[in-house]
Amino acid sequence: MATREIADRIYSVGTIDWDLRYFDAIMPTPRGSSYNSYLVKGSEKTALIDTCKPNDEADFITNLMRLDQHSLDYIIIDHAEQDHSGLLPLLLEIFPGAKVVTNETCKGLLLAMHHLEEVEERFIVIGDRETLSLGDKTLKFYLAPWVHWPDTMFTEVIEDKVLFTTDFLGTHYAAPTLYQDDESPDYLEAAKRYYAAIMMPFRSSVQEHLNLIDEIAPKIIGPSHGPVLRMPAKIIDLYRDWSGDSPKNLVIVAYVSMHGSTELMTKFLVDDLVQRGIPVHQYNLLETDTGVLGSAIVDAATIVIATPTVLFGPHPVAVNAAYLIRALRPKVQQIAVIGSYGWGTNAVNYLEEMLSPLSAKILEPVYIRGQPEETAITALHAMADAIVEHHKTL
Amino acid sequence: MDKYRCTICGYVYDPEKGAGIMYPAGTSFEKLPDTWKCPVCGAPKTQFKKV
Repeated sequence: MATREIADRIYSVGTIDWDLRYFDAIMPTPRGSSYNSYLVKGSEKTALIDTCKPNDEADFITNLMRLDQHSLDYIIIDHAEQDHSGLLPLLLEIFPGAKVVTNETCKGLLLAMHHLEEVEERFIVIGDRETLSLGDKTLKFYLAPWVHWPDTMFTEVIEDKVLFTTDFLGTHYAAPTLYQDDESPDYLEAAKRYYAAIMMPFRSSVQEHLNLIDEIAPKIIGPSHGPVLRMPAKIIDLYRDWSGDSPKNLVIVAYVSMHGSTELMTKFLVDDLVQRGIPVHQYNLLETDTGVLGSAIVDAATIVIATPTVLFGPHPVAVNAAYLIRALRPKVQQIAVIGSYGWGTNAVNYLEEMLSPLSAKILEPVYIRGQPEETAITALHAMADAIVEHHKTL
Repeated sequence: MDKYRCTICGYVYDPEKGAGIMYPAGTSFEKLPDTWKCPVCGAPKTQFKKV
């Protein structure tokens, strides 16, 4: 692919996948992604920071050869997940003199996932804020657990004020430019989608680690996916907003309908909220991908799931949505289930139980038999009242 | 006794239920050792917040 110098003798040597359309088989990535890796050449030693996914080995090795890199002293692994550590076994073979530098948790994961027990003596375990000299450049390590795995750490090149943050502050966004204008709407949309799927479950740790970034005050941030960030004030502010505890005055209604009853209920509730000036977005779950739904729930104070009953319980796509919402753990404060049934009646209980770990208030459901009539409309109106009441306090 | 929720995965430690043979029903969250970890995701005790 390409190697680019991001600072004095610090090179980006990772690979770009322009064609990637699904990441981790969970999130659509309409703009591809990259697997970033960085080479730091000190006056005495050279260190590689992270690798890339196993399929890209030819591109990756070509990049190292372009930089005339025939030996390596250290391979720093900031995070063990295979899309970053994938080439570690190969690199340990190619560079027999290289030592792996990582933290205790990451070491355990690497040994187990890549079956590296036989070369365990080549691992150097570092602790929080320890340093490693490369001669005229010094690496400093910061343990950063839970943004997003328990093993995550950041590596700083102290002299150049460059901080490598592994998945934190990354984006699935293949770009020809090394740096990204962080005001670009395309980039910001991709960044929010990435935050939602990868960082939102760890909101409290995200806040903590934004403070760490403030303390380190890097000039350049090199994440392991997407463009390198130069003085990334905009994206840091957005992360603070997204990961904070205060949701916005926004209602998300995620619905699916079979015979039209649930659709009519959704329409009534959404129209009622629109009428009363509450920002609301309606998403048909048959047409909405996980990336769109994930981004949508980042800021919402209220989430409503609308589903008909299939046999005894909710429609499968509503279950899928509820599972995703539960897993991504947004800061939502109110949750409601509405829908219609023919004879089986367990959809509401099922979904409410699934969403109970979110510690959001569960509103009185509106769950009716067949077509909505006056009682249902009155109940939906009451639900809208409860939503409006709460949203006035935001 | 208070319940505590894991901020990483949402698991709730309920002292009335305890957590396995080592920590039987009636073990308060405070009584769990500092080395105790969330049985679902492995997060440390410091990642728990009172419900």
